[in-house]
Amino acid sequence: MSAYAGPRDLLEVDLTARTWRKRALGDDVFADALGGVALAVRLIDERVRGPLEPLDPANPIVLAAGPFASTPVPAANKHALATISPLTGLLNEGLSSSHFSAVLRRCGLAAIVITGACDAWTTLAIDGDEVRFEDASALAGLSARDATKALRDEYGDRSLRVCAIGVAGERGVRFAAVENDGRQAGRGGTGAVFGAKRLKAIALRGRGEVAIADAGATAALSATLRARALGPKTAKYRVLGTSANLRVLQRMGQLPTRNFTAATFAGAENVTPERARESGETYLELRAGCAGCPVQCEHLYVRRDRDRRSAAASEYESVWAFGPNCGVDDLEAVLDAIARCDTLGLDTISTGSAIAFAMECAEHGLVARDAFGQELRFGNAAVLLPAIDAIATRRGLGDALADGVRAAAQRIGGGAVRFAMHCKGLELPGYEPRALPTYALGLATCTRGACHNRAATYDRELRDPSSDRGETLRARDAVEAENRAIAWDSLVLCKFVRDCFEDFEAEGAALWTAVTGVPLDAEGLVAVAQRTWERKRAINARLGWTPDDDTLPERLFAEPIADGPHAGRRVEPERLDALRAAYEALRRAGGVTAAVG
Amino acid sequence: MKVELFGMARAIAGVSHVELALDEPVALTELVRALGEACPALIPDVIVAAGDALVEPNLLLLDGRRALPDGARFVAADRPCVMFLPSGG
Repeated sequence: MSAYAGPRDLLEVDLTARTWRKRALGDDVFADALGGVALAVRLIDERVRGPLEPLDPANPIVLAAGPFASTPVPAANKHALATISPLTGLLNEGLSSSHFSAVLRRCGLAAIVITGACDAWTTLAIDGDEVRFEDASALAGLSARDATKALRDEYGDRSLRVCAIGVAGERGVRFAAVENDGRQAGRGGTGAVFGAKRLKAIALRGRGEVAIADAGATAALSATLRARALGPKTAKYRVLGTSANLRVLQRMGQLPTRNFTAATFAGAENVTPERARESGETYLELRAGCAGCPVQCEHLYVRRDRDRRSAAASEYESVWAFGPNCGVDDLEAVLDAIARCDTLGLDTISTGSAIAFAMECAEHGLVARDAFGQELRFGNAAVLLPAIDAIATRRGLGDALADGVRAAAQRIGGGAVRFAMHCKGLELPGYEPRALPTYALGLATCTRGACHNRAATYDRELRDPSSDRGETLRARDAVEAENRAIAWDSLVLCKFVRDCFEDFEAEGAALWTAVTGVPLDAEGLVAVAQRTWERKRAINARLGWTPDDDTLPERLFAEPIADGPHAGRRVEPERLDALRAAYEALRRAGGVTAAVG
Repeated sequence: MKVELFGMARAIAGVSHVELALDEPVALTELVRALGEACPALIPDVIVAAGDALVEPNLLLLDGRRALPDGARFVAADRPCVMFLPSGG
């Protein structure tokens, strides 16, 4: 077996005992699990062997570096975070990116596993070869951004890289995010697990060299990818940002509106950041992105008469969550809601979904309309900020919503479960599953819950949502999409350069081989994905998952789409059962073993 | 024929739609050529330099939801849209 060229140390930290140790991972581990998500899942699989309460100190948090981080490979400074989700009770794995990811590797680390819990707020400081447990009591109550600034001031080092939680993570909001470099690992509540461990931040400082097996081949492959990433394949991300989805989904009649009670939103044009960009008079547009990424996809907006530092990122899912999904057509209110979530450390999708759920509950008399001081109803922009603050600090109705819509519906009762839009506890993202059967299958079966980045079949289906594609082909599409997402997330490459590959599996495997020196081909990459999916399923089974959990919110079965070109469509239970059976048969047979075309 | 523009096509053309004088039914290449003549700025970022095809990921969807089968023709009532497939973040 060829030797893995990159940083290979695993740092294991016990916060209770305040001890740590490092050990080198063997070549077999990297051959088996590459890095990023696959490595993180493997490390969780080794440690979670039975039922586990997510907020118990025993729940491990894993950070696993992307194997291309801190190399010339573009769009690859990323790392995975994995833990048992306090929102779903199942495995949660996600990504964050930028400088923190790169410095993780410059500290000589392939991964960190954190268990136990501190008695008081603590910063885990990894300073080259040193590991320290530092008092973080002065950081409590700060946003991740302010905590980062305070730590940099304390260290006197502007290059210090920090990931941290905000108030929401401290208060145990079950969809609290972890932020580094302005990027968030948002979904699934990893921030609440940090909070339960009294782990406010992880600070990194490392300047080690990151070895590359074949520098010449890596440079050549990276140059090709970088050139493509500066071309038309990524123009929509570079020039417009993901929020350009909003106009398109509205035109398609696929824009979930008012907690999925409609699929078109009359106010959509008012909240599309493209419109703000086109007028250019009221809003200033700023650009940002991850370290080493030529795409620089983040488009931030701020009113010209306000402080530039209050600019909000205009990602599609965030704009959707507080705009159409809450029936709000006021762009400034939507941007303020997004910025407040980032300050408090909240996942925008789950937060917006929780507020939309509360709005519908209020309309049906299940919760007080004045629960947040402003009228709780669809379309009322004024209620967004008070509701967000109440969720982050667990005040009043916000305390129930802070546990996610599944738990909140149980607590509120009175049939509120009909309005809880989630899969396995994770709130739905902004695509309409009733018109997209394969995407609906992917949401139902996804080990993480309702995740659009792992059930990303919608791009194929949106080409022709009326096509009569049979169960076997749709199941194959779902498996391929999941496996491909695992491959992306384990190499790790940003999905926004996905169209820049002519043959992703072959080219991705070639990049891996050039950077690490460990041979891999397209078939091997698909096998890693299948193996990782099997580990995810096995972890979830140990945590109590059953096949009955692979389902969709009741509304998607019971209520047809009310408006637009897809009016009348719903998920037929028998059809979903048939799709799930085809999906399970394919997974049992070892997945789709051929490289995906 | 009215052609609706989304994403990069709208950003570059600076308009939400264009009206093209075309004999119906129209083939995709005919529409793309006419679109390029009406909005030359769309070449080469949305329309290839040769002027007869869209640059991926731009594509034509009828009424924003149906891809055009190979070789098929369409009419104005099919409501052609130059758009992209939503994805990501």
